[in-house]
Amino acid sequence: MFFHIVLERNMQLHPRYFGRNLRDNLVSKLMKDVEGTCSGRHGFVVAVTGIENIGKGLIRDGTGFVTFPVKYQCVVFRPFKGEILEAVVTMVNKMGFFAEAGPVQIFVSNHLIPDDMEFQSGDIPNYTTSDGSVKIQKDSEVRLKIIGTRVDATEIFCIGTIKDDFLGVINDPTTV
Amino acid sequence: MSVVTDSPVHSSSSDDFAAYINAALDASSPEALSDKDVENQDEFESVSRIKRRKFESIKETEGSTLEGTVKDNLAVAETSVEVDACTHPGSFGNMCIRCGQKLDGESGVTFGYIHKGLRLHDAEISRLRNTDIKNLLHHKKLYLILDLDHTLLNSTHLGHLSSEELHLLNQTDSLEDVSKGSIFKLEFMHMMTKLRPFVRTFLKEASEMFEMYIYTMGDRPYALEMAKLLDPQGEYFNAKIISRDDGTQKHQKGLDVVLGQESAVLILDDTEHAWMKHKDNLIVMERYHFFASSCRQFGFNCKSLAELKNDENENEGALTKILEVLKQVHSTFFDGLQEDLVGRDVRQVLKSVRKDVLSGCVIVFSRIIHSALPTLQKMARQMGATCLAELDPSVTHVVGTDAGTEKSRWAVKENKFLVHPRWIEAANYFWQKQPEENFALKKKHY
Ligand SMILES: [Mg+2]
Ligand SMILES: [Zn+2]
Repeated sequence: MFFHIVLERNMQLHPRYFGRNLRDNLVSKLMKDVEGTCSGRHGFVVAVTGIENIGKGLIRDGTGFVTFPVKYQCVVFRPFKGEILEAVVTMVNKMGFFAEAGPVQIFVSNHLIPDDMEFQSGDIPNYTTSDGSVKIQKDSEVRLKIIGTRVDATEIFCIGTIKDDFLGVINDPTTV
Repeated sequence: MSVVTDSPVHSSSSDDFAAYINAALDASSPEALSDKDVENQDEFESVSRIKRRKFESIKETEGSTLEGTVKDNLAVAETSVEVDACTHPGSFGNMCIRCGQKLDGESGVTFGYIHKGLRLHDAEISRLRNTDIKNLLHHKKLYLILDLDHTLLNSTHLGHLSSEELHLLNQTDSLEDVSKGSIFKLEFMHMMTKLRPFVRTFLKEASEMFEMYIYTMGDRPYALEMAKLLDPQGEYFNAKIISRDDGTQKHQKGLDVVLGQESAVLILDDTEHAWMKHKDNLIVMERYHFFASSCRQFGFNCKSLAELKNDENENEGALTKILEVLKQVHSTFFDGLQEDLVGRDVRQVLKSVRKDVLSGCVIVFSRIIHSALPTLQKMARQMGATCLAELDPSVTHVVGTDAGTEKSRWAVKENKFLVHPRWIEAANYFWQKQPEENFALKKKHY
């Protein structure tokens, strides 16, 4: 799920960046520092969308660095248990398949793939129904339900299932 | 980030929930300061640890609230997973792969070579092996584990090239289309790699009989780079590349991280002692030394193939010969009735194929260094030869290093073969009796 929220961060800046471009320098450093990072609470910071407020700088004793409290708006992404996600399959093997939704790594084990889908090895490993009508392989787009999440410093892991109504392949790469 | 627009959760009733989360996040906004650049690292770490503990409790409430919301508002059916009954067959990111529950500890075998964060328990591994073997045998395939260094290729540090090998620096093949080349300079790894002659044909033909793995004592980045050279299309080794980072025991290779039944696995490796527990699955490869550094590493004081501007022969090299052995083992395994395939054991087949190599040979050893004798005898017996201690009329071969011994002279007089021990070693590498005249021990040799 995506959220648009306001976060705050204390930014340290070297004096060489002071001057007319101080604000720009702060903003680009902020983007470099936070975009693409994760925190257990907010999830993955997708993008900084705006600056609410930059507080007064505070000179650090001895170093010359200045700390600015920056309040910024950003879009974050955080999956929740029970959430339905659409994801792209990255790898299929006998254990199940792995899929990605942006920064989120999802594993759907073969326990959570419908029983009528069987693993087929070969050049392009896949799970296929006995009548061949539905096939999951690398690059397929699937709709899945999250049953577990874990957010690390840089990654988000999820356990997913497609063993439920209206879940499974929504786009087959071979028919595009 | 295209998922932004088509995430299906943006249905009307989830707005309430989004508002709730926003409020919850705002209410505890002092927590947002956890990103602060704090100069004191120790202080920072302890602070963040405390906060993480707080997050855990917040997360729990968020999670359960969400579930409630989804159930009430969206009326989504319950998953069929029974949390209580789950045996937790494995984990991904420390969550059960079946019920999603967070699991503590690091139990099970790591399968990082398949995907980061993946672990499986023994029961699950054997379940997967059991389903897989049926599928595999149905397709008339077995498993083949391939070592990299000295088996499929030879690599050297650029700094270790000898002066007579420097000409190679201008002769390496393009990395644009590696499928056509055989010698590559990997500047960023400071390495040069030479693929063994015949390796591309070998892999192509072997892939029709086997599901193939790479298993190397090299580290993971090296293994992946080598796989790119050997398998540029990713058709053979997709997620089946095992490096020393993935093994469960130091300096040992094991089949415990391979999702294949041991009775259906063959291994090609030049290093026998890496496979202490799986010698019956192993075909020991003759080492491929292309570079001088590799020769030196194994104590050979001769010119390298690169220095001699030479190479193994495409048609008579080790990979060519071993492919023949693989074909023979494969066809023997799948010979006859299909019903009892699961009960068959490729190790038995390998043993019987090996037993044919020197069958009918009766060998007497003459003046072999004491420490080398047991190995040679064992080799000869495994290849089906009979080893005798004393001469008798049934003897067909006298094996020694000195043509002047009594036994050697007897062999010449009785018109028996008199050969160097290398005759046995060569047969052992090539799985084929070698022409005796190539290894004949003559008077002038000593
Ligand atoms: Mg090796
Ligand atoms: Zn479980």
